[in-house]
Amino acid sequence: MKLLLAEDTSDLNRAITAILQHEHYEVTSVLNGTDALRSILETPYDGIILDIMMPGLSGLEVLSELRAHRITTPVLLLTAKAEVDDRVAGLDAGADDYLTKPFAMKELLARVRSMTRRNTLFADDELHFSNLSLHAESLALAAENTVRLSKKEFELMKILILNAGRPLDADFLLSHVWKSEPEASKDTVWLYVSYLKGKLRAVSAKAEITVKRGDSCTLKEL
Amino acid sequence: MNSIYGTHRPELERTRDFLVDQIEAIRSETKDRTGQDPIEHLLFRIKSEESMREKCIRKGLPETPESALSLIYDAIGIRVVCSFINDVYMIRDRIAALPGCRIVKEKDYIRKAKPNGYRSYHMIIQTDTGIYAEIQLRTISMDTWAALEHHMKYKKKLNGNLELLTSELKRCADELASTDLSMQTLHDLIYDEGDITP
Repeated sequence: MKLLLAEDTSDLNRAITAILQHEHYEVTSVLNGTDALRSILETPYDGIILDIMMPGLSGLEVLSELRAHRITTPVLLLTAKAEVDDRVAGLDAGADDYLTKPFAMKELLARVRSMTRRNTLFADDELHFSNLSLHAESLALAAENTVRLSKKEFELMKILILNAGRPLDADFLLSHVWKSEPEASKDTVWLYVSYLKGKLRAVSAKAEITVKRGDSCTLKEL
Repeated sequence: MNSIYGTHRPELERTRDFLVDQIEAIRSETKDRTGQDPIEHLLFRIKSEESMREKCIRKGLPETPESALSLIYDAIGIRVVCSFINDVYMIRDRIAALPGCRIVKEKDYIRKAKPNGYRSYHMIIQTDTGIYAEIQLRTISMDTWAALEHHMKYKKKLNGNLELLTSELKRCADELASTDLSMQTLHDLIYDEGDITP
């Protein structure tokens, strides 16, 4: 599972990174808000940990910016004890949880587990991208026309919409869409990407999946 | 009573035969070239006297050869049922390019299905002799669906809720369309011997 950590105190940053890695998370750590935002816009994460007080962009600014990009990845805010208003502002801006410094590493790990668990449950009944809509209840993919997707096609389409504009590689898709199916391979991923490419055309979607040769795919507006 | 088609029936039959022969020629040429038959079946008819008169009445037209041949376009009806969706468009393109025919009107209900889920490609063409014909092209699954939907429309006593059956038919249409597309993807992988990895 991929996490982004943005914390400007380098000792604390190193300590949190080490502990998360020890728990087998794949961690990208940055020391300021600007790098955090850049990385979030480029790479899909399963969870984001943001310190509020950072040079450059603050944690709150990064949070509002990524929610404005309709990125729904769960966010845990790290706040100082006195920052009640920040905590309220953070939750209102779309944070999923917060943790007050100083905190016990055990509690940080519990909150990370909790927020990434919620992520797998996160689902709007209806997702939108360009002229497309994707309906969770009926598995319908609709633009000018409608088709009903299979369960796996639906999950793949959902993750592409949630990460629209960002390249997703086959390993990421395998571990998120086919996580409990060991027999699935990269060929499975590319076959399902081909299915969706055909279906997007068939519903006259103003969106397409572009593929970087054998490497990653991205949902883009046409 | 005189025929609604007046003395034009032989002309209708000749035009029907001409079009069917042309489509059969496209079919066998494709089969020779690719080893695959693009057409699952080909149906054709000249609209019966009774249906044509009924249609004239329904449209508020006089029951005359003029109405049947110049104001109504489906005295000749041809249905081309294909195995794969790309074959539907390939046959459409070939029909559009036939010498001695012009396209009067086309409706792509595959690209934009009717609200009930109906899918088909409709063409109205006119030959140099002035005779019109309606050609419907669709896949096997679209054909099966249309047949069932037709039965539902004309069956008086429906066992159950019409609304439920209608919405379930729409759901099936969208699932079948999805499967048609997946089958096309698989077909292309198998025949083009392409690599799955893009």
